[in-house]
Parts: sequence; structure tokens; C-alpha cells
Amino acid sequence: MIEFFEHTADLGLRARAADLDDLFAEAARALFSAVVEDMGTVVASQRMVIRIPGADKEFLLFDWLKALLYHFDAEHLLFSRFEVKVGADGLEGAAWGELMDPARHEMNHEVKAITLHGLKVEQSAEGWLAEVIVDI
Amino acid sequence: MDKESFRGSLEQVDATCWRIPKSYKPGMRVDGLIFTNERMLPQLLKDQAPEQVANAAFLPGIQHASLAMPDIHWGYGFCIGGVCATDPEEGGVISPGGVGYDVNCGVRLVRSNLRYNDVKPQLRPLVEALFRTVPAGVGRSGHYKFDKKELAHLLGEGPRYLRDRDLATQSDLEYTEAEGRLVGADPECVSDHALNRGAEQCGTLGSGNHFMEVQVVDEVFDEKTAAVFGLEKDMVCVMIHSGSRGLGYQVCDDALLSLRDAPRKYGIELPDRQLACAPVDSPEGKKYIAAMRAAANFAWCNRQLLMQQAREVFATVFGRSWQELQMNLVYDVCHNIAKFEEHTIGGKLKKVWVHRKGATRAFPPGHPEVPALYRKVGQPVLIPGDMGRASWVLAGMQGSMDKTFGTTCHGAGRAMSRTASLKHAAGRHIDKELEALGIIARSQSKKGLAEEQPAAYKNVDDVVEVVHEAGLSRKVARMRPIGVIKG
Repeated sequence: MIEFFEHTADLGLRARAADLDDLFAEAARALFSAVVEDMGTVVASQRMVIRIPGADKEFLLFDWLKALLYHFDAEHLLFSRFEVKVGADGLEGAAWGELMDPARHEMNHEVKAITLHGLKVEQSAEGWLAEVIVDI
Repeated sequence: MDKESFRGSLEQVDATCWRIPKSYKPGMRVDGLIFTNERMLPQLLKDQAPEQVANAAFLPGIQHASLAMPDIHWGYGFCIGGVCATDPEEGGVISPGGVGYDVNCGVRLVRSNLRYNDVKPQLRPLVEALFRTVPAGVGRSGHYKFDKKELAHLLGEGPRYLRDRDLATQSDLEYTEAEGRLVGADPECVSDHALNRGAEQCGTLGSGNHFMEVQVVDEVFDEKTAAVFGLEKDMVCVMIHSGSRGLGYQVCDDALLSLRDAPRKYGIELPDRQLACAPVDSPEGKKYIAAMRAAANFAWCNRQLLMQQAREVFATVFGRSWQELQMNLVYDVCHNIAKFEEHTIGGKLKKVWVHRKGATRAFPPGHPEVPALYRKVGQPVLIPGDMGRASWVLAGMQGSMDKTFGTTCHGAGRAMSRTASLKHAAGRHIDKELEALGIIARSQSKKGLAEEQPAAYKNVDDVVEVVHEAGLSRKVARMRPIGVIKG
């Protein structure tokens, strides 16, 4: 489950999932739903694998989203499907998508960066929650 | 972290200044001082921006106070509108969060010899031509391509390099803050990731609150100073608001990564990870400063190329060269930057790192860094407002040196979140509403105009009133928009 939450100048992304793997995939979906108006228009034709070392879950989420944003900004790749395996010392994520095509993809926000402000990865009785504020 | 109101202590100092005492939070090294007035105070308390003013007061080596301008609003780490100065001699730090992701985001103003009545009949074709020509919006590449070697020149030299390629004039350099070049920039300190993000983005507007506007001088408040800046009532100008694009964002990202261990390594305790910092003289600090300066130079190149494109469009639409149209640069200011400047603090002359995060330098008359032609009246300060009401040209005042490390406000400041703006715009046609006001606005994204609608911002006139009354900068001219290009 993903949603946006209010931040005066920027945008908050919130994701919830039953386990950590899905939480990271949902957070990535939240990011790209901020970037592109309709993620349904993004064809999952190319696969990219991203490996990130580290044990701190919040920094792992931060680095994962940062890596995806870099591929969009530098290489114009849009993603719409994600699978993530979070381990004790890092994560391995796969993202499927395609090159941005202005004729088919209506863009939403320019996400400048993922910020550390208010970054949260938490487990509760209901499952996992992630919050991240992105700079618009 | 949802939006919460600030419930901490605020003490009124005078008609335009409120204090968060050092005692508010253990760890604050100095007071927080917020420039505002009675009228704007309730808005200020609606979110966590004052808490962020208090948090910045934790920075080692901070001098005098953690400051905020009247356009203050909730940011990440620092508030937007935040200013602080750190002294390297006293363990002062440099903080990428105190600059922001968009290094040297800033504003430039170009004047012309056209009057409103000359432009009015051509306004729609002019705005359409600007919209077609100037790359704006998410993922749009620019018309100018630079290879890695050329990028290194842009990063090291700023628009000077463009002058050598006939894309800038000597006068353009003279009327740019720091002449468009921060000395000490080291392209070697800018990562390949940053270069990859920036390679195609020089000369692109971006999205969010960035814009290019055709404006008219609506009212002149200080005839003498306006004349020195080459401005007069009814004159058509172009205002450009953009920054260092993906290159600058990546420079900040890279610095945050290198500073991840800095709190432990240097024993710095901070209430927010986004305030990450390192001593100015540390390897991490030095590297960030060299890269940040390079990104600032790149941002000046970006605004220079945006201006060139506007000049060319005007030339095509009006059938005269931009030189004939006298489209000369009035000034270019940065409002996300850290600079090493001399200031008198507690009666002592010190060299400090002034962090301006959504705040503009406003040097007073007589300051050596103000261009010779403007030196008697003070530095021009450009304050973009919203697309329906106004923007301002101010001039720096001595009060800024006395109170705010030579700084004033940077804009209107958001009053509504983006999600709230969308709800507020539901069922309305912002473009038609603006058209009824005589403003043609075009945006690359459907939501762009809704999120950036005038009501999303504080009234810039209120913000300017505070800095004028506080003696930080004075009113010179009010500009009203007639054409708007958004990403």
C-alpha cells in the first residue's frame, strides 16, 4: 500500500507491507508514482539489478531509492515493477521498466532527491511501515 | 512525519524579529532568530519550520544566531529561509543540508527596451515560442551538449567559459553574483554520477517552483535606485528561476554519503540526519566545498543558457536582435549557497561560512562585491513571488550586515503543501483564472499550474514588507507577471 503525505514544500511518500522485502518494493512504487502520472503506462521490458550493502534498514531504503532515481535522471529509465530481497548485510533489488517516452508517459513531479529528513522504517503489529520525504 | 504545529517558545524581540531562546532545547549553541511580523506569525507556527531553526543552532562553530527569513517554511534538515554562519577558527562546520540539493538555485532578471503595449499584442505567440523553445519539465534534455572535458570547464570557470563560445557577454559576467564563478571549484571533486546527470541538463528549466516569466515593472518605489538598475515603470523584463539541475542534486547526495560517519568521527551530535556536516577543514568538508562551488558555477551556466534562449526567442518574435532589444542582465543572485565571507561579529571582523538555504545575499551600498555601477545604491536582490501576483526587485541595506550576515529573503515561501494545492484547485482551471488577470501561463505537466497556483504561496508583498521594515533590503520595484513558463 502506498500513499503521499503532506509536506509544505516537498512530498512525503509512505509505504506499508507485510514484510521488509515488499516494503522496499512498495517504496519504489511510491517513488515512481511521484515521478510518472500513471505507472500503468510504463512497460516492464528491461530489467536492472541493484545491489546495496549495509545493515541499517533506513540507510538501505535511502540508498535503494537514490539508486533508482539516479537511473531515471541520468539514463531516463522509468520503472514500474520491483522485487527486493533484504538480507542482514544488504539488499538485492530488481527493477523492470523502459526508457521514458514523452509521447506515452505523462510526467508528474521532478524528484530532485531522496532526503534523510523524517526517514523511517518501522515494524509494528500490523506489519512494516516506511516514510520518506523527497525534495521536489 | 506528518505536518504538526510548532508549540515551542517564541519571544518577541521587536516588530520584525522573534527569538527561540537557546534554552529551548539542550544542544542549541545559540538562539534562533526569526524575522517576521504579527501578521505572518500564525502561518509560521503551522509547521515544524521553527523547530528546524532550533536544530540548526546545534551546528558546531555557529555564530550569533540561527536565523530565518520571513519566507520561512518547513524544509528537510534546515528550514527554507534559513541562514547560519560558522567560524572555522571555532571548529565551524560546513553542512550540505544548509545549502540544499539544488546548489545555487537562484534568480536572474533581464531587462529590455520593450514596453507593455509593445508586447501585449504579441504576448500569446511570445509565450508559446518560449514554451516550445525552452526545455522544461521532468526528464527533458537541453539543446546544448557538453562532453566531459567541456563540462569540466563549465564547472571550473562558470559562464566565463560560455563567453569564449559567444554564449555570454562580459556584461553578463559583471552582473552575476560573484561574477558567475566561485573560486576554488574543483571539477575533480564532482562524481561521474553528477556529471552524467548534468551532461544534458545545462540550459533546462526543470520543474517544481522553477520558472521563466515575462514580467512588467508594475510600480517603482525607489526611482533613483531603479534608474541605476536600468528599470522603469512599464518596462518588460524576463525573470528566470532555476538551479544546478541533476548535477547539483547529485553533489549534495554524494556529500551526504561521505558524511554518513562524520557525526561519530568528529563527535558531532545532531537532532536531524539531514543536517549532516563536517569541520570545514576536514577531508570531507574540503571535498564538499570544492564540489559545491563547481555545482554553483554550473548553475550560473544553466541560467546563462536559459537567458540566451529567451533572448533568441524575443529576437525572433519581435524581429530585432536581442542587442537591439537591449536585453541586458540586471543581476543574477543565488539563494541556495554557502560562501566564505567577512562579517563583523561581536565587534570582531571574522571570516565565516555563511549558509543561505532559501535566502539571498543583500550586500549594502559601498560593499566591494557589489558591481561598480550599482555600488552606491546596493546590490540588486531578486525576489520571485507567485505566478499570479508579483515578484520584487530590492536593494541590499546595511541592516543585513548588522543583523543577518548580509542576507535577506528569497521568495514568497509556500503556504500550502502540494497535495493541499491540488485539492484547492480541483474543478478549477488555473490557466483560465490567470488569463482573466492578463497572464498567459503554460506548464509541461497538468498538475504544475495547480500545485504552483498563487494561493499555494504566502503573499510575497507581506514577506517583502518585513525585510524592508527590518532594514535588510529596501523596495525598489514591484514586477507583475504577464507570461509564465513552468516545467
